[in-house]
Amino acid sequence: MTKICSNQYAMNSPHAQKLSDDQSQKLYWACLEILEHTGVRMYEQEALDLLKKAGAVVTDGNRVRIPSGLVEKAFSTVPKSVTLCDRNGNPAIRAGGYRSYFGTGSDCLHILDHRTGEYRDSVLQDIVEGITLCDALEHIDFAMCMFLPSDVQQDIADRYQMEAMLNNTTKPVIFVTTEFSGAVDAVKMAEIVAGGERELKQNPFTACYINVTTGLRHNKEALQKLLYLSDKGIPLTYIPSAQGGVTAPVTVAATMAVNNAGVLAGLVLSQLKREGAPYIFPGWGGNMLDMKTTVQPYCDPEKRAQAIDFAHYLGMPSFSLAGCSESKLVDQQAAAEAALSLFTDALFGGNLVHDVGYLESGLCGSLPQLVICDEILSWLEAFMKGVDVSDESLALDIIDEVGPDGQHINSDHTLKNYKKRWYPQLFERASYNVWQRKGSKDLGQRATEHVDTILAEHKVEPLPKDVANAVHAIVEKPTA
Amino acid sequence: MADFQNIIDTLIEGDQEKLLSLAQSALDEGISAKEILEKGLMAGMDIVGEKMEAEDMFIPEVLMCARAMTAVINNLLKPLLAAGDVSAAGKVIIGTVKGDLHDIGKNLVAMMLESAGFEVYNLGADILPDKYVEEIKDKNADILCMSALLTTTMPMMKVTIDAVSEAGLRDQVKVMIGGAPVSQDFAEQIGADGYASDAGSAIRLAKEIMKR
Ligand code: B12
Repeated sequence: MTKICSNQYAMNSPHAQKLSDDQSQKLYWACLEILEHTGVRMYEQEALDLLKKAGAVVTDGNRVRIPSGLVEKAFSTVPKSVTLCDRNGNPAIRAGGYRSYFGTGSDCLHILDHRTGEYRDSVLQDIVEGITLCDALEHIDFAMCMFLPSDVQQDIADRYQMEAMLNNTTKPVIFVTTEFSGAVDAVKMAEIVAGGERELKQNPFTACYINVTTGLRHNKEALQKLLYLSDKGIPLTYIPSAQGGVTAPVTVAATMAVNNAGVLAGLVLSQLKREGAPYIFPGWGGNMLDMKTTVQPYCDPEKRAQAIDFAHYLGMPSFSLAGCSESKLVDQQAAAEAALSLFTDALFGGNLVHDVGYLESGLCGSLPQLVICDEILSWLEAFMKGVDVSDESLALDIIDEVGPDGQHINSDHTLKNYKKRWYPQLFERASYNVWQRKGSKDLGQRATEHVDTILAEHKVEPLPKDVANAVHAIVEKPTA
Repeated sequence: MADFQNIIDTLIEGDQEKLLSLAQSALDEGISAKEILEKGLMAGMDIVGEKMEAEDMFIPEVLMCARAMTAVINNLLKPLLAAGDVSAAGKVIIGTVKGDLHDIGKNLVAMMLESAGFEVYNLGADILPDKYVEEIKDKNADILCMSALLTTTMPMMKVTIDAVSEAGLRDQVKVMIGGAPVSQDFAEQIGADGYASDAGSAIRLAKEIMKR
């Protein structure tokens, strides 16, 4: 029998948009006007030289006005999708379009110790355990270091972080360093693991997260990293962080315009340094300072989604943030904020979504919170699937066969298909009595036990001994 | 009997025009500038400070109150006050330490100290120890405030304190430190005189430190 049916259209997933394309265009024009008219300060000579040579106007020593044409030109050479490999060089993440991948954040000062419940300074072993957990969790796609190790020499703490990530997961890793030299060493380590400079460039399994003071002020380290990594062809994010009400006007649109003008300036520089250098846009926009508490909220609803829309409009991959909370505990607020933020980023199609498991506005982390986020992501993966309304899934023949009076529980159709439905691992569905029999545990307790089980059972594929030694040698002899 | 309560309430509302006219009528009634300052304006700002710490007021509102108060002092009271009546609560040098560019919190603390009556010299971010030393000397400062948001730059606080000691200025200035990774323990470890976790308590600490 022929099965032809014209004009079929299937929604493959739910989808949302907050900025219309017209609004994105207006925002883009605003950024171009800022770059041409107001200009940005750049505290790095090579950046100034490159821009000047390309036709930008430099006044007052380091104030650069960038013509729109340079921005348009940069869009014609920058890749629209960034592939990150795993540690073994196999493609693992294709960041672009509406594909979402999730990972942890970096550099929390504190940990809520899941064994003792204590709130304390984090140490190197916390990073080892956190990254091991990332390696094991199905819905965590990339790792950032999560914690600051308070028990190592502080000025080279970032080298220890990179080493711990390389040793404890095969998933892609994204690094953050304070100084430029730290980024140089992180790349050296990654090159050793990849088997050389060319190998890493061809199959990058790592990317660098760079923060910039504001869209209008580009600090030296950020520019140094941008130029160095662009030259190397290693993917990077370039994220100015003006705060509405303090270092930018308080409206979401203005803060986004200021920051994204800076993102475009970085884009131009990256492509001037090397055409085709991979470059990732920020996926949140419109940071604010909470004017009561003076905290910069990570899970602020108003800074979500529009930057993802803007990146989509420009056809660029985005690096966004979700699964984070202002709560000081793994409590109801933490779960609600994590779920809401993960939900929005999945729905809007942020590409590399980081900060999963953050508490206390980026100052504290918790392993059980990460495990809870993994469960939320599992739920979301099931939710985001489209509905199959096909002849087969409608199963009209079986409906007819069983009729109004029959049972489906023991039918072949059920047997064949029931496992395709979603089952929770941590969310409790059992009856009250059964839940009681299992110890009357709440989600936090179950997540804590799950952390212990994973840490006891999961074996990370180790780096070859000589490679691990060569990586460690960099920690012992860091670039000054 | 002057209506100080009205002045206090108006200050808390941040209504500069009304505050100016109330202060003018009080002066016309023969109330001294000193009394208006102390029983009206200062009393009002104390309440503003408390409200801020109780999360009862937003930072921009606090700054508006401070602006209203300054307008009254500069436009009406200053010529009438005896020298000494309106002396600053203290002279403060403030900056973010070398290597650190986080300045949002530091700037907030600077503004809040200013609105509490301190004379504040805000040096900016990424400040070398020698620069602090130079400014302390130059401005004859009472308090040195340092901010650090990175664990990697916290040690610069100790380096700066050592530089201040070496320059023979440690007895002249009290040292206050703050920033997300900084703690009371750390302050004690490096020999600072105080630590505060937010702008509200920073003001309280600065006032208290001036009395030591
Ligand atoms: C905004 C921000 C930035 C902005 C800063 C913009 C600016 N102009 O300041 C930008 C984007 C530039 C930035 C850059 C970086 N950042 Co940053 N940043 C933050 C963030 C999100 C918020 C800080 C903030 O402004 N808070 C709001 C203000 C009002 O609060 P506050 O600073 O704490 O100040 C209050 C109190 O602490 C106190 N206080 C502050 N100073 C003082 C001083 C005195 C004397 C007293 C008494 C009190 C006091 O009162 C203030 C008001 O209540 C924090 C996370 C966090 N939750 O703190 C990370 C954070 C501090 N950054 C971090 C990192 C890693 C970086 C980078 C290294 C990233 C990179 N590689 O690009 C760079 C470093 C650049 C450099 N050399 O300094 C880490 C720190 C890790 C560490 N090693 O300690 C944090 C903790 C985030 C994280 N978990 O990863 N960052």
